[in-house]
Amino acid sequence: MEKRNKILNIEGIQTYYGVSHVIQGLSMYVENQEAVSILGRNGVGKTTTLRTIMGLTPPRGGSIHINGVDTTKAPPHKISKLGVAYVPAERHIFPGLSVEENLMMAARPGKGKDPWTLEKVCDHFPVLADRTKQDGSTLSGGEQQMLAIGRALISNPEIIIMDEPSQGLSPLLVQMITDVVLKFCISSGITMLIVEQNYRMALKVASRHYLMGTKGKIVKIASTKELMEDPEIIQSHLSV
Amino acid sequence: MGGTIGIIVDISLNSLVLSGVFLIVAIGLNIIYGLSRIMNMGHGALYAVGAYTGYTLVATGFNYFVALVIAPIIVGGIGLLIERTIIAPMRKRSMVYTLILTYGLMFFLDGMIKYVWGNKPCFIDLPAFMQGTLSILGTQYPIFRLVTLFLIAGIMGGLMLFLNKTKVGLILRASSTIPEMVSCLGINMSYVHMGAFVLGCIMAAMAGIIAGPLTTIDPLMGSEMLISSFVVIVIGGLGSLRGAVLAALLIGFVQTLAEFFITDLAMVIVYVLMAVILAFMPRGILGEGKFE
Repeated sequence: MEKRNKILNIEGIQTYYGVSHVIQGLSMYVENQEAVSILGRNGVGKTTTLRTIMGLTPPRGGSIHINGVDTTKAPPHKISKLGVAYVPAERHIFPGLSVEENLMMAARPGKGKDPWTLEKVCDHFPVLADRTKQDGSTLSGGEQQMLAIGRALISNPEIIIMDEPSQGLSPLLVQMITDVVLKFCISSGITMLIVEQNYRMALKVASRHYLMGTKGKIVKIASTKELMEDPEIIQSHLSV
Repeated sequence: MGGTIGIIVDISLNSLVLSGVFLIVAIGLNIIYGLSRIMNMGHGALYAVGAYTGYTLVATGFNYFVALVIAPIIVGGIGLLIERTIIAPMRKRSMVYTLILTYGLMFFLDGMIKYVWGNKPCFIDLPAFMQGTLSILGTQYPIFRLVTLFLIAGIMGGLMLFLNKTKVGLILRASSTIPEMVSCLGINMSYVHMGAFVLGCIMAAMAGIIAGPLTTIDPLMGSEMLISSFVVIVIGGLGSLRGAVLAALLIGFVQTLAEFFITDLAMVIVYVLMAVILAFMPRGILGEGKFE
C-alpha cells in the first residue's frame, strides 16, 4: 500500500484566463502532512495554479481532488470548508476591519486538542496581539503577512496554500516568516503547498519541489536533498 | 425677532428630517450596490410598498410603532423572494442586465401598488401623542416630525451596531472590500448578496413608513424618492457610507431651503448642485467604491 494518502491530487488541469491558455496540462499531488513547493519564474502559472486549486479560476479540463472529494468545479467556499486555507500573495487583509475582525472572519472550531483560537494566535504572534483593534490594512507588509498566516491558522485547516509569502519583504522579515511557517504550520502537521521565487526559503520550508516551466509545465520534480546537493538543477531548469 | 429664529428652527429641523429619510433610502441602495454592483431601480417602489404596507397595518388597527417593525419585515420578505427568483440568476451577467431587470421590477411593483391600493393618496393615522405641536424657540413644531428625527437616529444607530458588532455585519463589511477573499474563507457569496438585498429592502421600507406621515402616500412617491436617493449616492460617491451621510445632509438642506424661497425651482437647484459637484469631483465627495 501507499505510505500516505494524497490530500491534494491534480490531474492534467487546463486553466484559461479568457482566451489565454495559462495552465496546459498540469499534474501534481501533495501527500498528507507533506510540505511541497512550486518553484518557477514570474508568469509561468504558479499563482494561477493556486487560484485553480482554490476554485477562483476553475479549470476547463482535468481534475482536482481534495481528500478524495472531486473539487474540479467546486466554488471557493466549498473548497475552504474541506479544510483548505489560502494565503494569497497580495495578503488580502480586509481594509476597514481591525486585526481581530480580520481573524474572526476566518475563525472556525478545530478538531485537535489544541486548536487555533483568537487567544492562541495572539499568544504566538505578539505583533498582532498589540494591534488587535487597529485597522488591518494599516499594518506593515511583514505584519500583514503575519496576519494573513494567522488568519489561515485560525480556520484550523488541513492544508494551507501559500503564495509567495516572502514577496516584498526584507531578508530579516523573510527569515521571520520562514520561522513562523516552520514552527506553526509544518511542525504542527498542517500540509503545505507553497509557491516561491525565493528558492532559499522554499528549500528551508518544503521537502519536495515542483519546478515549473512556462504554461504550468512541470520540468522537474526534486527533493530538497537533491536540490541542495546540486544547485545546478534549479539553474538549468529555471534560468533564462 | 422670534419670528426669524422660528423660521430658522423650522427650516433646520425640516432639513434634518428630509436628510434622514434620504439617508436611509440611499444607504439601502448603496449597500446593495456596494456589495453586489446592482443599481436597484426598484428601490423607490420598495420604499413605497413599505409606506403602503405601514398604512394598511395602521388602518387595520396596529400601533404605528408596531407597524414600523412589521412593515419592514414584510418588505424584507418580498425582497428575499425577488432576490432568489429573479436577481440571483442574473448575478453573473453585466450590470446592464440587472439595471434593466430592476427597471422592470419598478414597473411591476408600481403596478401592484395601483392594483392593491388604487390611485388615491393615503394618510397614516398617527397615535394621539404624536399629533399636535411643541413650542421650540418661537415656532410651533409638529411632534411627529421630532419623533421621526429620533426614529431616524435610532435606525442609523441600529444599522451601525448591526454592521460593526454582529458576525453578519462583519461579513458584509469584509465583502464590500475583497469579496474573493471572503469566499476563500468559506462564506457563500450568494448568501451575502441575498443578505445585502434584503437589508436594502428593509431600509427602504423603514424609510417609507417614517416618511409616510411627512408626505402623502401616493403611487408617485417611489419614483420621486428613487431619483433623490440616486442624487444622494452619486454626490456622496457610489458605495460610500460616509459620503451618503454628507450628501443626504447637503441635499436635505438645499432642497428644504430652495422649497422655502423658490418653491418651483427646488428640484432644479438640487440637480444644478449635483452637476457642479460632479464637475469638480467626478467620483462624488467620497467615492472610493466601498462602504465602511
